[in-house]
Formats: sequence, C-alpha cells, structure tokens
Amino acid sequence: MTSYILRRLAQLVPVLFLASIGIWAMVYAVPGSPVGAIVGENATPEQIADTIQRLGLDRPFYEQYWSWLSGAVLGDLGESIQSREPVLDLILTRVPATIQLGLAAILVGLVLGVPVAVVSALVPGSLIDRMLSGWSALALGVPTFWLGILLILLFGVQLHWLPSVSTYIPFFEDPVGALENLLLPALTLGTYVSGIFARFLRASLLGELKADYVRTARSKGLRERDVVGRHVMRNALLPFVTIVGLMLAAFVGGTVVTEAVFTYPGIGRLLIQAIGVRDYPLIQGCILFVLVIYVLMNVLVDVLYAYIDPRIEYR
Amino acid sequence: MSGSWQRTRAAAWRVLAHPGALISVAYLAVTICVSLTAQWLLPIDPLYQDLASTLEPPGATYWFGTDELGRDILARVIYGARTSLLTAGGAVVIAAAIGVPIGLIAGYFGGWRDTILMRIVDVLLALPGILFAMALIAVLGRSQAAALVAVGITGIPSFARITRAQVLSLRQRDFVLAVEALGGTAAYNMFRTVLPNAWSPILVQVVILSSVAILLEAALAFLGVGIPPPTPSWGEMLRTGKSYLYEAPTYAILPGLALTLTILSLDTLGRTLATVLEDRREVVEDEAQ
Repeated sequence: MTSYILRRLAQLVPVLFLASIGIWAMVYAVPGSPVGAIVGENATPEQIADTIQRLGLDRPFYEQYWSWLSGAVLGDLGESIQSREPVLDLILTRVPATIQLGLAAILVGLVLGVPVAVVSALVPGSLIDRMLSGWSALALGVPTFWLGILLILLFGVQLHWLPSVSTYIPFFEDPVGALENLLLPALTLGTYVSGIFARFLRASLLGELKADYVRTARSKGLRERDVVGRHVMRNALLPFVTIVGLMLAAFVGGTVVTEAVFTYPGIGRLLIQAIGVRDYPLIQGCILFVLVIYVLMNVLVDVLYAYIDPRIEYR
Repeated sequence: MSGSWQRTRAAAWRVLAHPGALISVAYLAVTICVSLTAQWLLPIDPLYQDLASTLEPPGATYWFGTDELGRDILARVIYGARTSLLTAGGAVVIAAAIGVPIGLIAGYFGGWRDTILMRIVDVLLALPGILFAMALIAVLGRSQAAALVAVGITGIPSFARITRAQVLSLRQRDFVLAVEALGGTAAYNMFRTVLPNAWSPILVQVVILSSVAILLEAALAFLGVGIPPPTPSWGEMLRTGKSYLYEAPTYAILPGLALTLTILSLDTLGRTLATVLEDRREVVEDEAQ
C-alpha cells in the first residue's frame, strides 16, 4: 500500500512540473513587463533597476525559473507586493477557514444526499424517486452564488436569524459562534455536494441492486437494512468514488465562489483579492497552493478507491 | 442522405417527446429569440441611466425595478442573456475547433501522437477550470475576448477525450479500413469517414458544455474577473445586486433565475439527447445483426 501511494505521488511530478512552468510564466505573459506589473506605472528608474535586480530578471530565464521553483518547493513563495508579507504566511493564515468550510459542506452534503440516494434507489421510477431526482437536478443546476444570495436574503435580510456576512471563528474555540457563521456558507456549498451524492450514488446503488448476490442475501432472509447497508453500499461506493474524483474540480471552484458570496476569509477570497490588486506573487502562490491541495485530494480519492476495493492491485 | 435526415428528424421528435426536454427547448428558443431581437423589437435600453429613480422596487414603469444607476433591470437581464449565450457559444466553438481535431488525430494515428496530445490534455484536465480561467484573466486583463478564450480553453479536454474514444471504436471498422485501402488520405478518412459517424456524443457534449460555459462565465463575472462593465451580464448583476440586498432585495433575484433556468434547460436537453442517441445507436446495431 505504501509503495502504491508513493508511486501515485510520483505520477504527480510531471503534472505539477508543467503546471509550475505555466504559473511561473504567467507573470511574464502580462502585457507590458513583470516589472511594470510589480512596481506600478509611476516608478522611478532606480525603483525599476532595483526590482529587476531583486527579482533576478537580468539572469537567464532557466536560472530564474529554477530559483523560483526551488524556493517554492522549500515553501518560499516570495513576498506579497501589497502587504510585503511572505506569501506563504498569508496563505497559511487562511487555510483553517477554508478547511472548516470544506468539511462542513461535505458533512451537509452527506446528511442531505446519502438518504436521498438510498431512498430513491430502493423505489426506482416511483413518484418519490422522480421528486428526489428533480431535487438533485436542482441542487446541481442552481449556481452556488445565486443559492448563497437567496439564503442570505431569506435568513439574513428577511428573518435576521443569521449574519449575511460570515467571518471565520474556529469551531473548537466558540462552537455557537462558528455555527452561526458557518451555517449559510456550508449549506450553500453543501447543497451542491448533496446533489453529487444524490445523483451518482443513486446510479451506482441501482446498478448494484440488480446483482445476483443481492437476491441471494434477500432470499436467505437478511433484513433490507443489512442488505443495503452491508452488501450493496460497499460495492456501490466503488463507481461512486470515481465520480467524486471527477467532481473535485467543481468542489474547489464552488469553494472559491462560496467564499466570495459570504466574504468568508478563506484562500479563495485571498486569490480574488490578489487578482483585484494584481498582486502577482500572491496570485501565483495561491494558485500553486490550491493546485497542490487539489492534486493531493485526487491521490487521496485513488488511495481510498484501492482501500475499498481489495481486488485492485497496488501497482 | 435522405435516410440520415429522416433518422435525425426521428431523433429530434423523440427528444421532444420528453416533457422536460420540450420545456427546455421552448425556454431556450424564447430566450435566444428575445435576446437577439431585443434591440429592434423592445423599447428598452440596458444602458440608459434614470438617476432620479435608482434601486426602485418592481413597479409599472420598471417591471423588475432599477439598479444602483437607475438602469432597467429587466432590460439588463434580457441583454445579459445575449452576453451569456454569445460567450458560451463562442467558447464552445473554440473548445470544439481545437478539441475535436486533437481527439481525431490522437485516436486515428495512435502511437507517439496519441501519447503527446493526450498527456497535454490530461494536464489541462487536471486543473480546475475556474482556477485556470482566473489565472488566464489575471494575465490577459478583463475583457470579453479574455473571458471567451479562458472559458473556451477549459472545454478542450472533454471534446478531445470524447472524440478520441469515438475514433478508437471506429478505427478498425471495415468502412474506415476500406477507405484506407483504397488510398484515401488520412485527412479525408478522418474528417469525411470517421467524424460523420462520431457526431452524436460530440453533439451531446456541445449542449452540456454550453451549460458549463454559461455557468463559468457567470461565475467569473460574479467574482469580478469576467466581462467588464457596463456590458450587461448576469454574473455581474448578481455581483452588484449582492451589495444592495437590504435596499433592493429583488435586484439579485431575476438575473439568477434567468441564469438558473438556462443552465437547467441546457442540462436537461443534453441528458435527454444522450439517452435518445444512445438508444438509437443500439437500435441501429440491432438492425445490423
């Protein structure tokens, strides 16, 4: 298993290498020059010369790329133009907020989505199934940012139950305050997640319920709860985990958008702010960081897949 | 030729036999017609600023109220449809024009061309689309062209993969080998023999990707990196509407509704199309046996 994980991680190297070239080169593709983007339009010749020196822009490009990459690997993502703080520090202060939002959304998605999938797979074609399928189509189709606005309108503006702007409060310091601030963003992102669960887990449950071993399990008198819970669910998770892997990109995008809706102080919002003020080192740092997290999540899904299915050889 | 036209018509009728698909097609037809003819037919102007009546609630003069500059929200939603549809259409054309040939070449020739092309596609597919689009726009600056290109590029991998899969299943069929044996060039064989037989999943992908493109364009505009103002766009309206939730709660509702209905319609249509075309393919193969 360990060697499988290591091999899977090694496969990331080419992807991350190509992506790192793209992220590094983006500053050079900015109309004008990277120096202009960094020092601004009204810079003195001394400032420009100083910046060129400091960034090493007078060196050959492969040396520049190498020093950027080796810095990035060691955690040195440069300095923010705007705040002059190290980019990595700025990112790391936002990480807990995003993790808390992501986990809460997945929880909401599980609670809303799994029962829907199980119920509608047990009575396919029925009125309940069609209603629940319609609901999952809505959950997947309604844009995250509009759903968030509607929730703010209802619970924030009309009912005054929950704040319409969410701040980050660590759950273990102040559970009540954290929930107040987390409920709407988690519901917004979690609805989308629940749509994924409802639609795709239903599909793979339906496929499994037709299998012979289900008939055997039923005919030997197992309770339906055990048939579904012990036998079917475990097998249905396999194709489903693949789908989850494919939907990860949408989840990452949804997190960025949700943070924007609620002005929630996570990494996504940091990236949007950085783009707004053209803080290129910060933009590069955020994109690289999110990308690394994203590919690691993909590896995690693959490892999970191998763990659930003992038939897969760890090759 | 008339046979394939009849089959196409039969497939279209079977799509429309699904109530969901029928409603979707009707909604999309109305949206497309109204938004494209609005400048000649409707007495509305999405850019006119009635500064005496800003953030008006829905009423007789302005059916859906006005925005923070006194512009007609209904007019901006209608013209926003045009922005959305044109961006999505253009993006899908870009994606298909690059993705389909990549898939054709990779699947038809195989070997090193396949390896190189699909590796590049895999890297592109490995990036979350919205992140890629944001990075690209951060570089290119905000413009209609940047949004179009950014959304278009994110669609290339799915076209390439689907076309390649189709080509692989057709490559060793007798009629393709026959053209090859008779001395038809590779380009002729790819575009005139293989592609016409591979169109149905590509068509489904066109519809589904249109909905993805509309959502992505709106999301970029909502994040403030899409098509710059004052061009009306649903995402941009939601972005500004969010700042006036207390003063004008209805501001953000109509653009979001139009956006959601468009996405749901395209999604429903795409999925119905997929079922119908898959059924048809099975029927054709049954007939052959």
